[in-house]
Amino acid sequence: MATIIEMDEVSFSYGSDAAHALDGISLTVEEGAFVGVIGPSGAGKSTLAACLSGAIPHHYTGELFGSTVVAGRDTCDVTLTDISRTVGSVAQDIDAQMVASVVEDELLFGLENFGVPHDRIEERIDRALSTVGIRELRHREIATLSGGQKQKVAIAAILALEPRVLVLDEPTAALDPVSSRTVFETLADVNRRLGVTVVVIEQKVALLSAFCDRVLVMDRGRIALSGTPHEVFGNGERLRAIGVDSPRTARISNSLARAGLTARTEPCLDVDEAYGLIAEILSGARGAGVRTASGPRRAGSPHAPARPHAEGAQPVLTFRDVGYTYPGGGASVTDLSLTVYPGELVGVVGQNGAGKTTLTKLLNGLLKPAAGEVRIAGLDTRETPVSRIAAHVATLFQNPDRQICKNTVLDEVAFGLELTGVDPADARERARRVIARFGLPATEAPFALSRGQRQMVALAGVVVMEPEVVVLDEPTSGLDYRECMTVMETVRDMADHGCAVVMVCHDMEVVSDFAERIVVMADGRILGRGPAGELFADDALMARASVTPPQVVDLAGRLARGVSPAFAGITEVSDIVSTVKELMGRA
Amino acid sequence: MLNVIDYVPGDTLLHRLNPVSKLALAAAIIAATFLSDGFAPLAGLLALTLALAAYAGVFGRLARLLKLLVPIALIMFALQLVFVRGGRPVAGFATDEGLVTGGKACLRLLGVALPLVLMLMVTKLTDLANACVEKLHIPYKYAFTFTTALRFVPVFSQEMNAIMEAQTARGVEYDTNNPFRKMRLMLPLCIPLLISSVGKTDATALAAEQRGFYLRTRESSYRRYPFGALDAAAFALCAALVAAGILL
Repeated sequence: MATIIEMDEVSFSYGSDAAHALDGISLTVEEGAFVGVIGPSGAGKSTLAACLSGAIPHHYTGELFGSTVVAGRDTCDVTLTDISRTVGSVAQDIDAQMVASVVEDELLFGLENFGVPHDRIEERIDRALSTVGIRELRHREIATLSGGQKQKVAIAAILALEPRVLVLDEPTAALDPVSSRTVFETLADVNRRLGVTVVVIEQKVALLSAFCDRVLVMDRGRIALSGTPHEVFGNGERLRAIGVDSPRTARISNSLARAGLTARTEPCLDVDEAYGLIAEILSGARGAGVRTASGPRRAGSPHAPARPHAEGAQPVLTFRDVGYTYPGGGASVTDLSLTVYPGELVGVVGQNGAGKTTLTKLLNGLLKPAAGEVRIAGLDTRETPVSRIAAHVATLFQNPDRQICKNTVLDEVAFGLELTGVDPADARERARRVIARFGLPATEAPFALSRGQRQMVALAGVVVMEPEVVVLDEPTSGLDYRECMTVMETVRDMADHGCAVVMVCHDMEVVSDFAERIVVMADGRILGRGPAGELFADDALMARASVTPPQVVDLAGRLARGVSPAFAGITEVSDIVSTVKELMGRA
Repeated sequence: MLNVIDYVPGDTLLHRLNPVSKLALAAAIIAATFLSDGFAPLAGLLALTLALAAYAGVFGRLARLLKLLVPIALIMFALQLVFVRGGRPVAGFATDEGLVTGGKACLRLLGVALPLVLMLMVTKLTDLANACVEKLHIPYKYAFTFTTALRFVPVFSQEMNAIMEAQTARGVEYDTNNPFRKMRLMLPLCIPLLISSVGKTDATALAAEQRGFYLRTRESSYRRYPFGALDAAAFALCAALVAAGILL
């Protein structure tokens, strides 16, 4: 196949004294490839995408070395408009990309500009919409679409231009797992049927390993690893050092291989592969399935130690039959009942639009219940102003930029305390301690920091409050694996010190690692609540809520049914591995 | 959340008019409102606007705007009463001349504010931009800037809401009843809002350029916006309105 992208020793820095965002990148991409790019934040992923789409050198200023050749032409020699005839790019911020208010007009814009003959426009629009599977949305207002639908419109608008390369920057960052998967299915379809080369930046390893035929791992402006998903995710240790997650099933197979239980060196990328591998290993051990009657024996996991609420402790948060409807109709929640005790870490899961965010807003008093009652730290939210509830409940929002409003990190972290009436000198002293613990630069302007660090500043602002309840709304979106772990470990530490944590999160692996209880929501109702492992293993419940269970729980359930009951109820990679060892040992 | 100027789909004559004719109609009503000097024509023009809104099925939406405008109009009325000192005293400090000028100022304010909003409600922004480029020969760059600015109003107000919610949850007293205190608390929010808007506009500019923005000419638009008999009638109505405004 022909080479469509060729980068030769490309380095780029935003400004002459800034560090290199890209540092000597050499890369060739064959036409028709499906390439995934992953890496910690600040690794240069978006800069790489900007180089491919021509935004560098034509839109962003800085110092560029080396050459990028796309479809035979050096991007420095042709205009941005000409590059975009070959390379279609979908921006990270979908709202900023949209130019029209109706789906059809959004597709028309590019077609009109590039002078597609008017008698062919109708056909192109129709084809682009059907490829993405949104023909029925043609006359809809964009403002009324869901996040996943908008993402598809953005992709269709680019596809209508029939580019040879499609570059996407984190297209699923704001989507729930089900919509993320459909977006990738669409991309795979476009790639296969139309032969469009796809380069996609993505943090979700499970998607990358399922769809890409090549994965690039970036680290500090360089390409650290490159190869098929099997090759890349076999380097578990190396990935962890860089700060990149690997699929849980790959961790299982890597551990099994290290323990000498299998000769297979390729990692397992999905549950099917891992199931096959473990079944194969255990089929060697005669009758393993029949003999173990030890049954479920795990009580919690090392990650989420059981924190039995103190004897006679009062719940710090109660929802009693709470209902709320947004004015002007639309979404609503009904009959929410929930009790949370100090020191508990509760995960809230469900699809986009299930009412999870509404629940968090009812919790911190931003919304007042229309029916029922919300009591938090002994206060009725309907009778207490939000600014007073804030002394007891701290919220970490998905986007730290909405939270940050001060000129230095120190002011920012102390701000929340000052608002609740803590003496300024005292507030600064407490803020300084927390800042030191997080290793943040106290005198810098928060907006000069990276996205991940801004999230840390926001988190420090939450920790310093020493609240009774912490609410997290998608705390890990936009963060790389290492930042995500820092956030979650901080939160768990707070829970260990008696703070109740309620967390809305799309990443089921994170939820299953850290939450001991989950609340499953769909259509504004609570479908189930209880221990995380138990509910995730409930296939019917997961299907009703359109939630994909974490890989390990899924695998354990299937192994328990098909291979040995000893796997029932496992939620941790290490437990799967030790159970396999145990069964082998006994055989 | 729906915005006041959002497009309301429909199939009435008003919807089917050429966007340029709609603009002309709105402009004519506004011009006539400025030119005429009498309670009857002023009230008549306002009634015409409201009747058109009712006909196009957007009266409810317009009424929401009216709810905001009426208090402003009343404040203006009160100010006129205080400042216009000529004429015969009627009651207290109010004079008959003050009542007359105040009343007219009130009607003018409403009469000027509503027609354009009404037209925006029954026209898609892209149609408006394309028709203006085709018929009025406005450079597309300006038409695009204008429509993008309008499109960003709801986007930014959502962003502002989200920022306010985040700050309220931290304990900033936006739920205070004192409007001055609230204003003072809102000032620091300009920083996050500004930062996110600059980022957004830059992203928009880049995305538009990557979709061939600079290649666009007057002939690019797929849709054409020919004037029809309906538009001729609308222009005749415009002329009549302006003439009536001068005469009455």
